[in-house]
Amino acid sequence: MDLQNQQRIKDAAEKFGAENVVVVLGSSDAEGAEIYAETVTAGDPTFAGPLAGVSLGLPVYHVFDPAIREEADPAVWEEQIGMMEMVLDTEALAEAVRKMREEHSKVTL
Amino acid sequence: MGKLTGKKLLLLGERDGVPGPAMEACFQSCGAEIAFAVTECFV
Repeated sequence: MDLQNQQRIKDAAEKFGAENVVVVLGSSDAEGAEIYAETVTAGDPTFAGPLAGVSLGLPVYHVFDPAIREEADPAVWEEQIGMMEMVLDTEALAEAVRKMREEHSKVTL
Repeated sequence: MGKLTGKKLLLLGERDGVPGPAMEACFQSCGAEIAFAVTECFV
Protein backbone atom coordinates (compact mmCIF):
# COMPACT_ATOMS: atom_id res chain seq x y z
CA MET A 1 0.00 0.00 0.00
CA ASP A 2 1.08 3.52 -0.83
CA LEU A 3 3.04 4.92 2.14
CA GLN A 4 1.02 8.12 2.20
CA ASN A 5 -2.21 6.14 2.43
CA GLN A 6 -0.79 4.04 5.25
CA GLN A 7 -0.18 7.26 7.15
CA ARG A 8 -3.73 8.45 6.43
CA ILE A 9 -5.16 5.20 7.77
CA LYS A 10 -2.97 5.40 10.86
CA ASP A 11 -3.97 9.01 11.52
CA ALA A 12 -7.69 8.26 11.07
CA ALA A 13 -7.52 5.24 13.40
CA GLU A 14 -5.81 7.35 16.07
CA LYS A 15 -8.19 10.26 15.62
CA PHE A 16 -11.51 8.39 15.51
CA GLY A 17 -10.69 5.09 17.26
CA ALA A 18 -10.66 1.63 15.63
CA GLU A 19 -14.26 0.95 16.68
CA ASN A 20 -15.53 4.00 14.76
CA VAL A 21 -13.90 3.46 11.40
CA VAL A 22 -14.52 0.98 8.59
CA VAL A 23 -11.99 0.41 5.82
CA VAL A 24 -13.55 -0.45 2.45
CA LEU A 25 -11.35 -1.80 -0.34
CA GLY A 26 -11.93 -1.60 -4.08
CA SER A 27 -9.08 -3.89 -5.13
CA SER A 28 -9.36 -5.77 -8.41
CA ASP A 29 -7.48 -8.94 -7.44
CA ALA A 30 -7.78 -11.17 -4.40
CA GLU A 31 -4.06 -11.21 -3.64
CA GLY A 32 -3.88 -7.42 -3.56
CA ALA A 33 -7.04 -7.22 -1.45
CA GLU A 34 -5.49 -9.62 1.03
CA ILE A 35 -2.32 -7.54 1.35
CA TYR A 36 -4.36 -4.37 1.88
CA ALA A 37 -6.50 -6.09 4.48
CA GLU A 38 -3.41 -7.40 6.23
CA THR A 39 -1.86 -3.93 6.25
CA VAL A 40 -4.81 -2.30 8.06
CA THR A 41 -5.24 -5.14 10.54
CA ALA A 42 -1.93 -6.89 11.34
CA GLY A 43 0.47 -4.28 9.90
CA ASP A 44 2.41 -3.66 6.69
CA PRO A 45 3.74 -7.07 5.54
CA THR A 46 6.45 -5.37 3.47
CA PHE A 47 7.73 -3.47 6.53
CA ALA A 48 8.17 -0.39 4.36
CA GLY A 49 5.56 2.04 5.60
CA PRO A 50 4.15 3.73 8.69
CA LEU A 51 2.05 0.63 9.48
CA ALA A 52 5.08 -1.70 9.68
CA GLY A 53 4.76 -3.50 12.99
CA VAL A 54 1.55 -1.60 13.81
CA SER A 55 -1.48 -3.86 14.33
CA LEU A 56 -4.44 -1.52 14.05
CA GLY A 57 -6.96 -4.38 13.89
CA LEU A 58 -9.39 -2.22 11.91
CA PRO A 59 -12.65 -3.62 10.54
CA VAL A 60 -11.95 -4.11 6.83
CA TYR A 61 -14.31 -5.19 4.05
CA HIS A 62 -14.19 -5.42 0.30
CA VAL A 63 -16.80 -3.22 -1.34
CA PHE A 64 -18.31 -6.40 -2.87
CA ASP A 65 -18.89 -7.95 0.56
CA PRO A 66 -22.69 -8.28 0.87
CA ALA A 67 -22.61 -6.49 4.26
CA ILE A 68 -21.17 -3.39 2.60
CA ARG A 69 -22.86 -3.65 -0.78
CA GLU A 70 -26.32 -3.57 0.79
CA GLU A 71 -25.54 -0.20 2.42
CA ALA A 72 -24.84 1.45 -0.95
CA ASP A 73 -27.35 3.54 -2.87
CA PRO A 74 -28.61 0.97 -5.44
CA ALA A 75 -29.03 3.42 -8.32
CA VAL A 76 -25.59 4.96 -7.82
CA TRP A 77 -24.06 1.49 -7.40
CA GLU A 78 -25.48 0.41 -10.75
CA GLU A 79 -24.12 3.50 -12.44
CA GLN A 80 -20.67 3.60 -10.78
CA ILE A 81 -19.79 0.00 -9.90
CA GLY A 82 -22.23 -2.25 -11.81
CA MET A 83 -19.83 -2.76 -14.72
CA MET A 84 -16.88 -3.78 -12.53
CA GLU A 85 -19.13 -6.09 -10.58
CA MET A 86 -19.77 -8.04 -13.77
CA VAL A 87 -16.11 -8.49 -14.68
CA LEU A 88 -14.44 -9.06 -11.30
CA ASP A 89 -14.59 -12.20 -9.16
CA THR A 90 -16.61 -10.56 -6.40
CA GLU A 91 -16.89 -13.62 -4.18
CA ALA A 92 -13.14 -14.30 -4.21
CA LEU A 93 -12.43 -10.66 -3.37
CA ALA A 94 -14.86 -10.55 -0.45
CA GLU A 95 -13.57 -13.90 0.78
CA ALA A 96 -9.89 -12.86 0.69
CA VAL A 97 -10.65 -9.83 2.85
CA ARG A 98 -12.95 -11.82 5.14
CA LYS A 99 -10.18 -14.27 5.98
CA MET A 100 -7.82 -11.48 7.02
CA ARG A 101 -10.59 -9.75 8.96
CA GLU A 102 -11.47 -12.88 10.90
CA GLU A 103 -7.85 -13.47 11.71
CA HIS A 104 -6.68 -9.98 12.62
CA SER A 105 -9.50 -7.43 13.05
CA LYS A 106 -10.24 -6.44 16.62
CA VAL A 107 -13.57 -4.90 15.60
CA THR A 108 -16.17 -5.97 13.01
CA LEU A 109 -19.54 -4.57 11.99
CA MET B 1 -30.59 2.38 10.67
CA GLY B 2 -27.81 0.85 8.61
CA LYS B 3 -24.70 -0.92 9.83
CA LEU B 4 -22.52 1.94 8.71
CA THR B 5 -24.47 4.71 10.42
CA GLY B 6 -22.18 6.94 12.46
CA LYS B 7 -19.01 5.26 11.16
CA LYS B 8 -16.11 6.98 9.45
CA LEU B 9 -15.38 5.32 6.14
CA LEU B 10 -11.83 5.01 4.86
CA LEU B 11 -12.23 4.17 1.17
CA LEU B 12 -9.21 2.62 -0.53
CA GLY B 13 -10.07 2.30 -4.18
CA GLU B 14 -8.03 0.95 -7.05
CA ARG B 15 -7.80 2.27 -10.57
CA ASP B 16 -8.29 -1.16 -12.16
CA GLY B 17 -10.93 -2.19 -9.63
CA VAL B 18 -13.39 0.13 -7.95
CA PRO B 19 -12.00 3.69 -7.70
CA GLY B 20 -12.35 5.79 -4.54
CA PRO B 21 -14.79 8.37 -6.00
CA ALA B 22 -17.15 5.60 -7.21
CA MET B 23 -17.35 4.18 -3.69
CA GLU B 24 -17.70 7.67 -2.26
CA ALA B 25 -20.73 8.32 -4.47
CA CYS B 26 -22.37 5.03 -3.44
CA PHE B 27 -21.98 5.57 0.30
CA GLN B 28 -22.72 9.29 0.38
CA SER B 29 -26.19 8.74 1.81
CA CYS B 30 -25.70 5.62 3.98
CA GLY B 31 -25.41 7.54 7.26
CA ALA B 32 -21.64 7.23 7.51
CA GLU B 33 -19.12 10.00 7.16
CA ILE B 34 -16.49 9.55 4.48
CA ALA B 35 -13.18 10.36 6.18
CA PHE B 36 -11.29 10.01 2.90
CA ALA B 37 -11.47 8.29 -0.46
CA VAL B 38 -8.35 7.53 -2.47
CA THR B 39 -7.51 5.54 -5.57
CA GLU B 40 -4.28 3.62 -5.84
CA CYS B 41 -2.86 2.36 -9.08
CA PHE B 42 -0.41 -0.41 -9.75
CA VAL B 43 1.89 -0.06 -12.70
